[in-house]
Amino acid sequence: MEQLFFILLALLTLSAALMVVTTRNLLHAAFWLILVFFGIAGFFILLHAEFLAVVQVLIYIGAISTLIIFAIMLTRRIMDPQQPRFNSQWGLVGGLAALLFVVLAAVTTRVAWPTTSATLPAEPIKQLGADFVGVYAVPFEVASVLLVVAMIGAIIIARERG
Amino acid sequence: MVPLTWYLVLAAALFAIGMFGVLARKNAVAVLMGVELMLNAVNINLLAFWRYTALGELVGHAFAVFVITVAAAEAAVGVALFIAVYRQRDTVNVEELDAMKG
Amino acid sequence: MTFPTLNFPVIAPQIVLVAAALIILLADLMVANKRILGWISLIAVIGALAAVFVCRSDSAAFPLALGGPSGPGTMALADGLGLFASAAVLIAAGLAILLAIERVGDFSRFEKPGSEKKQARSGDHPIAEAPGPQVTDRAGAYYALLLLATAGMTAMATASDLMTIFIALEIFSLALYILVGFNRRDLRSGEAALKYFLLGAFASGFFLYGIALIYAATGTTSLEAILHNIQPMSISLPFRPLLPVGMGLLLVGFGFKLALVPFHMWTPDAYQGAPTPVTAFMSVATKAAAFAALIRVLAAVASYDRPWLLALAALAVLTMTLGNLAALRQTSLKRMLAYSSIAHAGYLLIGLAAGNQLGVEGALYYLLAYTFMNLGAFAVLLAVQRRDENDVTGDRILGLAGRQPLLAALMAVLMFSLAGIPPLAGFFGKLYVFSGAVEAGLAWLAIVGVLNSALGAYYYLRVTILMFMAEPAESDQEISSGKVETLQPGWAVMTTVVLAVLGTIVLGLWQWPWTQTIAQAVSTLALR
Repeated sequence: MEQLFFILLALLTLSAALMVVTTRNLLHAAFWLILVFFGIAGFFILLHAEFLAVVQVLIYIGAISTLIIFAIMLTRRIMDPQQPRFNSQWGLVGGLAALLFVVLAAVTTRVAWPTTSATLPAEPIKQLGADFVGVYAVPFEVASVLLVVAMIGAIIIARERG
Repeated sequence: MVPLTWYLVLAAALFAIGMFGVLARKNAVAVLMGVELMLNAVNINLLAFWRYTALGELVGHAFAVFVITVAAAEAAVGVALFIAVYRQRDTVNVEELDAMKG
Repeated sequence: MTFPTLNFPVIAPQIVLVAAALIILLADLMVANKRILGWISLIAVIGALAAVFVCRSDSAAFPLALGGPSGPGTMALADGLGLFASAAVLIAAGLAILLAIERVGDFSRFEKPGSEKKQARSGDHPIAEAPGPQVTDRAGAYYALLLLATAGMTAMATASDLMTIFIALEIFSLALYILVGFNRRDLRSGEAALKYFLLGAFASGFFLYGIALIYAATGTTSLEAILHNIQPMSISLPFRPLLPVGMGLLLVGFGFKLALVPFHMWTPDAYQGAPTPVTAFMSVATKAAAFAALIRVLAAVASYDRPWLLALAALAVLTMTLGNLAALRQTSLKRMLAYSSIAHAGYLLIGLAAGNQLGVEGALYYLLAYTFMNLGAFAVLLAVQRRDENDVTGDRILGLAGRQPLLAALMAVLMFSLAGIPPLAGFFGKLYVFSGAVEAGLAWLAIVGVLNSALGAYYYLRVTILMFMAEPAESDQEISSGKVETLQPGWAVMTTVVLAVLGTIVLGLWQWPWTQTIAQAVSTLALR
């Protein structure tokens, strides 16, 4: 049953992803992207990472997709004739991407993955919270500096002249 | 139970599609969308590895949260740059931005 | 819940820099004269440098670890390598701030469009003539971003966990994307920032995928744990292909940050379009931080195995050759130096490709020398750059010796050092790196390096000849009649150039303390 869910979700996500990179209309591409993010949240639930699924919806769909839609709206050219979506090397790039996929898939599928004997942590969120101020305190604090940089940088660059 | 390899192939496919988006599309926002696809593929990888092979510690979980954080920060800076460049040059088409040659 | 062992001296430099950045942002709202912010940031950098030295001198608890139960949880490691690279980054930051103190107004100050203000002013920001609300000066944000970028770089140099390395990498990358696009007047600045951003984000994706694969193979992201607990042979056979592929993807990410060929596409545009003080900082500091992290990652994940060393050697050859060949054809001096920076990354990589003690020591020494040389060269470019322009073409330095003999002499020293002429630091850097390669059995690599140095010498010497032998582009008549602005490099820029040249000379002639420190630093890395 779970496998059926996975296959359906995978089909949905991958086809949506393909639409993202091939659609001519950028706004449609953004909506397909939102669908991809929903699919990925579904995968997180299948992987027993419910907290992350919620975070995915909140941040990726709630914030990042909104940002991207803003960007599309604000950088639209009114007179946009039939612009080709791809640049001249798209064939080569398609080949490279396919090659990369084959290499990565081959490497990861040939490994005989052992099934782990450990059990799921009973309360992953609690454990995660404890870890963030425990073991992972340093990257956690460093990430806060990252957010400060992003905030300052974005405001400075995008401000109006004068 | 879904075998681990399914997740990994899915992530690889998503990564490849994202890479295609980055390198083949002309509009900068479309390139950013490709990058987001790549980062999501990495997240699936991390969580799948955590779930199937390294359940003892929450490294994969924590790292996935950090990846989402970084993706958000990058998107913010990127969109700000797009807007700034658009105001200056009236385009975000990477092929049309060619003031520097050589 | 286990609290990590928080050895504050390890992150003291970062704390100082971040605190100063926040103070500067607040002070930006209150002070009108932005020079003060520049001085605050310089003091912060000196404070951070002092913290690095304090950390170093505390040899009893050396190397200081930070975070988690020691071993798997160590997030940051203040060992010799980290502190040395941090010092290099901080020196670069200090010099870059000094460069910018006078000239930041050129690209960060804007009057409201419509108000007539001449931009060609030397020295201070004339507050009296510009009514407040009509002028935006983003110098505060400039210094803050610079300090935050420095904090990210020092964090990356001392990071011992892949998670921390990645987040620190993103910190300074984001800050640099913004800094590259700071000059609103020059169209190329925004374009450079955009291209840098897109390619940088793309490379981060590869970097992350590599980390995910390494995590899969080893079950952890801590380099310390991987280094000490996991021998490549002890990883069960099914997992083995993951490590090389992961390392390969990581190398793609690193290659981008270090501007190695074929990941160097962004470098000429970004270096040319960015404001020159930013280029000066970016060209040296990112390399110091990224090389430190690369040395650590190679030790842990690849164990400096022969195939990897050969791969690095191949990358080094590509990088040097393409960098030098492309530099020959440039008319813009900034672009020429950009390709020259690419070539120098290639020389540095030779030291890593040697994989032995001498090679890595040589690479670290070369890093410090390169910091002084390259930053000095860009500082000279800033000195001759017109205030309302962002690029420096060859005609700006024609006959420089006649107009500014001191500047020309200093530039000549820097050019000689970059070309690898003894007894300057550049020569010794190349000597050590090539010796390391020969000792590792890669004599062919050293030969290619020497050939490339000869190739590089051509364009460095061409600059020198242009300075000393050619006639100035603007005739004396034009200058004296006031039609053309005279060349007045401010005191701050001149000081930076002098310091850079001093650093180059001292590093070359008086090597003992530096090589001592470097040897200590490398000895903890367990190389062959």
